[in-house]
Amino acid sequence: MVAIDIIFAPIFLSILVYFLTKGAEHITKYIALGWFLVLFFISLSWLHQLPAHGFLQLGTYLQVPAFNFDLTLQVDALSVAMLLLTSLLLILVVFTSWNEKNQASYFSLLILFSGPIFGVFMTTNVLWFFMFWELTLVPMLFLIGMWGAERRIYAAIKFFLYTHVFAMFMFVGFFLLYKQTGYWDITQIKEAALTTPALIWWLMFAGFAAKLPLFPFHTWLPDAHVQAPSSISVLLAGVLLKMGAYGLIRFTVELLPATTREFALWMVVFGLLTTFFAGMLAIYEKHIKKMVAYSSISHMGLVVVAIATMTYDGLSASLYEMIGHALIISPLFLIAGWLHHKTHTWYMNEMGGIMKYAPYASAIFILAGMAALGLPGTMGFVGELTIIISAVKSFGWWIAVIALGGFISAGYIIWSVRRAIHGEPSEIVLNSTFEMSAAEKFALAVFAFLIVYFGIVPQPIFDVANKAFSSFFGGM
Amino acid sequence: MSFIVLIATGLLIPLFYRNNIFIAKMIAVVAFIVAAYFVYQGQSLNSVFPYFVMTKATMIMEFALLATLAAVSLTLTGFERPLIAQMLFLGAVSLGLLETNNFFLFIVLFEVVAIISYILVANIRNFNNSEGAIKAFIAGAVASGIILLGFALFSFTSESFNYSDMNVSGKFTLIAVAIMLAGIFYKLTIVPMHAWAADAYSQVNHAAAAILSGVIKSVVLVATFKAFYKFMIAYPVATVLIFSFFAIVTMTLANFMALWQKRISKILAYSSIAHSGYALIPFAAAASIYSFAGILYYAVAYIFMQTSVFLILNDFRREAGVKFLQDIKGMGKRAPLHSLFFTVQLFSLAGIPLLAGFLSKAVAFYAGVDAGLWPIVLIAVLNSALAVGYYVWIIKHIYFDKSENEAAVKMSAGSLIGQLILLAGTVYFGIVAGNIIGAGMHFSF
Repeated sequence: MVAIDIIFAPIFLSILVYFLTKGAEHITKYIALGWFLVLFFISLSWLHQLPAHGFLQLGTYLQVPAFNFDLTLQVDALSVAMLLLTSLLLILVVFTSWNEKNQASYFSLLILFSGPIFGVFMTTNVLWFFMFWELTLVPMLFLIGMWGAERRIYAAIKFFLYTHVFAMFMFVGFFLLYKQTGYWDITQIKEAALTTPALIWWLMFAGFAAKLPLFPFHTWLPDAHVQAPSSISVLLAGVLLKMGAYGLIRFTVELLPATTREFALWMVVFGLLTTFFAGMLAIYEKHIKKMVAYSSISHMGLVVVAIATMTYDGLSASLYEMIGHALIISPLFLIAGWLHHKTHTWYMNEMGGIMKYAPYASAIFILAGMAALGLPGTMGFVGELTIIISAVKSFGWWIAVIALGGFISAGYIIWSVRRAIHGEPSEIVLNSTFEMSAAEKFALAVFAFLIVYFGIVPQPIFDVANKAFSSFFGGM
Repeated sequence: MSFIVLIATGLLIPLFYRNNIFIAKMIAVVAFIVAAYFVYQGQSLNSVFPYFVMTKATMIMEFALLATLAAVSLTLTGFERPLIAQMLFLGAVSLGLLETNNFFLFIVLFEVVAIISYILVANIRNFNNSEGAIKAFIAGAVASGIILLGFALFSFTSESFNYSDMNVSGKFTLIAVAIMLAGIFYKLTIVPMHAWAADAYSQVNHAAAAILSGVIKSVVLVATFKAFYKFMIAYPVATVLIFSFFAIVTMTLANFMALWQKRISKILAYSSIAHSGYALIPFAAAASIYSFAGILYYAVAYIFMQTSVFLILNDFRREAGVKFLQDIKGMGKRAPLHSLFFTVQLFSLAGIPLLAGFLSKAVAFYAGVDAGLWPIVLIAVLNSALAVGYYVWIIKHIYFDKSENEAAVKMSAGSLIGQLILLAGTVYFGIVAGNIIGAGMHFSF
């Protein structure tokens, strides 16, 4: 029973938590922290129980025989990796929002969010996947709309509508999957049974592309990430974008391999366009958090290129880069938001010389920035290197242009460090006080440690990737 | 038995509600529970009269209907007391409308429901109420005339009116059905027969609007589907063309109209019209085996959520004088319980998962995909995504904006229990789909 409880208990109990802790708000964050720790350890136990190949069965619930529809919960290494990442980020987010206002509702919404996001990664039923996918939008709408920056309401509603509209294409794609195969469960759907695989592929791809987001569908992201509170930006970048990448791997590469091979070049084109376009925008941007947001989009382009290779190497690289992206972008968002909180400006050219006044935050910003541009010894290097190698193996030497993405990120990262962190302190910086709570320091330290640790010892992640993708291609 | 219980209570209850509305409400709730018990025992109209049959699908719809009516009667106050008696009558007649398997009885009971609805809206307190009531009455009378014209034509061609052995291949059948549908589209508020509804729903007393737009529409949807099923199977091309066309026109126009409105009741009225558009998709897909499951699920989900939003709006109007969008600013702080119920039901209307609104749309739209109408379903889901725009806009006013007035809005116990019943329906049918799809798949009229 534990599997279904972890999805539905937070959804229904979060409302209770809200009303019960209304008088003593500080308790809510301990409840949230405790719950996320439980989630983390449950995911860890699943990692150890995983069979060598395929899925760990967690049960089947809520059967509807007439519709061939039930809530099938099973996890494989890919989902467990996502679950571990999600619960880790949730735990750290509790620390980074330790002093948030209106704690009862804030942490209740975080608890509510943990239910559907676990559901997305745990179920193999297509319709339930879609239901959880959509439900993650609701707590995010409130978290952005109530705790965000100046234009939070615009950003929240744009985010909600944009991703909702594109999810609808995916929804029709899922319907056609069931119509043409008679199964809702992805382990039972066979590609050969489909009559219009191309149509279904493009409908599903639209939904995932908007979530990732790929180049023409990315306009919701800069608004949402900039206006959201930094902790929520961490969840948006670390978890919600990963839903798109996870969906691409599960529903295109795993489910429709032949069709995906046919359109792989399109994925590469979209991925490259995203990387270059978002990278260029990041160079142009003076707004520090927007710069980080575009950098995040740019890295997701690399993930898509890696997925499009459809080889064991490429998928492992994409999983590594997904985790790396989450761990690297999160501290950048946190520090960008923290700087705005302290200096009340978003613009890098109005900052400068922060290193002198906030050495701890600056050091971690530089470390994460270096990881983002692919400095050896960090997660960014391993991720980008494996992606380039696997892409060259699959598509030929011309794909090495992707390395230009690394140059572009070097451009915006180094320039932003030069403008914001180093240089002469500006008037605004001189008039600000830079204090960081111990909880935030702790969370940043964890991120910094993980970036370096997995950069030097990448093997644990590749072991998980081996388990996840060996069943696709016969192992390595 | 359930019919007799409801009618008898309806006749007796005016004796009580003059003095004490609380006792009247309790009696009405008990009557609904007793009626539900008899329905459960299979002792509804079907045990007494011929031409009525009870299936599992009918039973589920009747439970939803009686639970909703009980919830509505719990929330009523003061001058709304005549509604209690009218709802008891409405419940009784609706049971008949849902159970009948005779086309003649369908037309007769449909007219009775229409007459009850005229009395329902005639609870006039001000000029707006009377405008809405007159519009509902005149449009309804026109619709009745059109339906009777179509029925007269049809009665020339068929010997029997039983659903199972109606003659559907007569010379005038198609034109007769088209005329009858034109009349029924008035009641279902399909564009271009919707104009009265936008005013009537928003201007009559909100409790009456809840019954009119939520309860009556759901019942009529299910009953109409059963009545016209044989025609729809007999004329597949006409069915697909007529219903797809009206579905697309209705939902698109209503959604765009709803986006412009400032009055909350008008937004909800147009949202109700848009929902009629979505509900036509299973009609267009009558050839699919999922079509009846789709329409049944849609009706069951819709009865809970639409009734609930209008009842909360009624509370808001009474306690805080809410009329326009700007009036509900900051209600999340002033009235946390109301706002929570309102938000959940609006999300359900918008089709957010784990609420009945999503699964009902999923099944209804799947029927469309199953019948090969996926482009129409794509238009419908994009429309429902567009609709999220105005639902979220209401929620934005409730939670994200600050209000000038800080006075708390209290929720009465009756209102709370009523809303909990409706919320339970919305959440239960949003997660547990087994009963309803199973019942809807094995239907026979």
